Amino acid sequence: MSLVDLLGVSKSYGGTRALDDVTLTFDRGVTGLLGPNGAGKTTLLRIVATSIAADRGSTRILGHDPTASHGEVVEARRGLGYLPQELGFPHDMTVFGFVEYVAVLKEWNQAAARSREVHRVLDLVGLGDLAAKRVRKLSGGQRRRVGLAQALVGNPQVLVLDEPTTGLDPAQRATLRRTLSTIASESAVLLSTHQTEDVAALCERVVVLAEGHVRFDGSVVDLVRTAEGRVWLSDEPAETGVAAWRTGTGRHRVVGGPRPPGAESVEPSLEDAYLLMLDGRVPAPDAVT
Amino acid sequence: MSTPVTGHGWHADDELLAGYTSGSLRAIEAASVEQHLVHCADCRAALRPHTDVVTLDQAWLSVRDRVERRPQPAAVRLARRLGLQEPTSVLLAATVTLRTAWLASAFIALGFAFVASRFSEGTTLWPFLLVAPLVPVLGVASAYGSSEDALDSLVATSPYGRTRLVLVRTIAVLVVALPFAALMGLSLPGPPWVAVAWLGPALMLVPILLALASFVGPAPASAVVALGWAGVVTMSVRHLTPTWPVESEVQLTMLALATLSAAVLLVRARTTRMIGGLW
Repeated sequence: MSLVDLLGVSKSYGGTRALDDVTLTFDRGVTGLLGPNGAGKTTLLRIVATSIAADRGSTRILGHDPTASHGEVVEARRGLGYLPQELGFPHDMTVFGFVEYVAVLKEWNQAAARSREVHRVLDLVGLGDLAAKRVRKLSGGQRRRVGLAQALVGNPQVLVLDEPTTGLDPAQRATLRRTLSTIASESAVLLSTHQTEDVAALCERVVVLAEGHVRFDGSVVDLVRTAEGRVWLSDEPAETGVAAWRTGTGRHRVVGGPRPPGAESVEPSLEDAYLLMLDGRVPAPDAVT
Repeated sequence: MSTPVTGHGWHADDELLAGYTSGSLRAIEAASVEQHLVHCADCRAALRPHTDVVTLDQAWLSVRDRVERRPQPAAVRLARRLGLQEPTSVLLAATVTLRTAWLASAFIALGFAFVASRFSEGTTLWPFLLVAPLVPVLGVASAYGSSEDALDSLVATSPYGRTRLVLVRTIAVLVVALPFAALMGLSLPGPPWVAVAWLGPALMLVPILLALASFVGPAPASAVVALGWAGVVTMSVRHLTPTWPVESEVQLTMLALATLSAAVLLVRARTTRMIGGLW
């Protein structure tokens, strides 16, 4: 049994199918969900976070079926940490007060232990010195870290982070990377992002979602490999590929399509591979489920 | 006991440092070592093997906890004095919407009771009978928080759960709003039993609201309940006696509706596959 098991999971909103027959399992380590807007990333994360139920298929979080009974969903939630995509903060709460509120919701009922836990998670995200500050006075990146801190309360076995890097500067991203790699030795960390750099820096495994389907599921290295021999550097602009842009050196990077005249083949990046994967011109590798 | 060195003169040796960390030095020696440690990085580094990092961490956390812990807000202290458990007090006091709801409920009840008793000269009951039974209902509806409740997604996915939080808030609203409105009821014109009778619909409208809310959400449900009750009161003003909304036949009808609502809630709690209960 994995920490998270999704089997044939589908979810629709009205006539729109957000997830279609998705089968995935998650164990210890950091998995990045990559995909364009509307690909189903947030829906998938909300199902794992027990925020919504799938229409069809089986969901098991830490061995519990959250739709089976109240007891089952509570057991699943005891091992979950969740950072939603949009997290509002009550007007007058302090950083400490906010995380403490969530700690109470997570059944940290003993005041002294709860206070220590709140300080611990605030230290983890580098906000230990701002505990008494009102959340409304923080910057966007600091608020995102408050959101992350509440998700870390109680060392959850399954950590679900919907776009955790939004608003973080490079130094804060580096801190997040260190924090997550420590947590991922004991927990399954699922995060969604639009940024391929985040996946390259943070994740061992990447799942590419498009239109509610899993396009790729494997290591970051394997995803990059799917683009080998399909990325070019050309002196002239070319419109034949999936994407092309002028680089800082004045040459043109061409992703996919036939080799432009005079162009040389270059090492693909994760972003190249992702663009090709979304375009669907790369044959599905073995790792795809 | 000390090792002569260059520079500042000496460094504390292992024996001295061990004595310092174990607390076995005499006070004057300990003070001297402590003073030296403040200024000497080498000796601070040498002290490290003598210290238990875990214990030190715990001690530091405990000191920090004491220094940084802010006094609990007045609302938490009050709730605890009333016998609530500390975690429940934290949840209730942290909810701005709830505090607003309490105040709003109280002021509405006060305002209308005052209007009814002051300006009717003992002949008009309907303002009070219209509003007072709705005070707990609207308070309960506001206890859900708005649909854009900043914390809703976290509440909904926590082990504590939205259902339990709504119920706790509901009870809190009733405890605060009802006695206040009841006091106002005592100052009403008209038959004395009315001062108590309005509590019947006030309590029976709550399960009706909760049952409706499980289908359509709190805001539409509270609108339906408020309009329904307003219809009952309006009808009495036009065609019946002023006390009709709280007389026994209406009370019995409402009791039947409330019982039905409780049954609906029970059935939905057992059959729905919605995650985290009804709400």
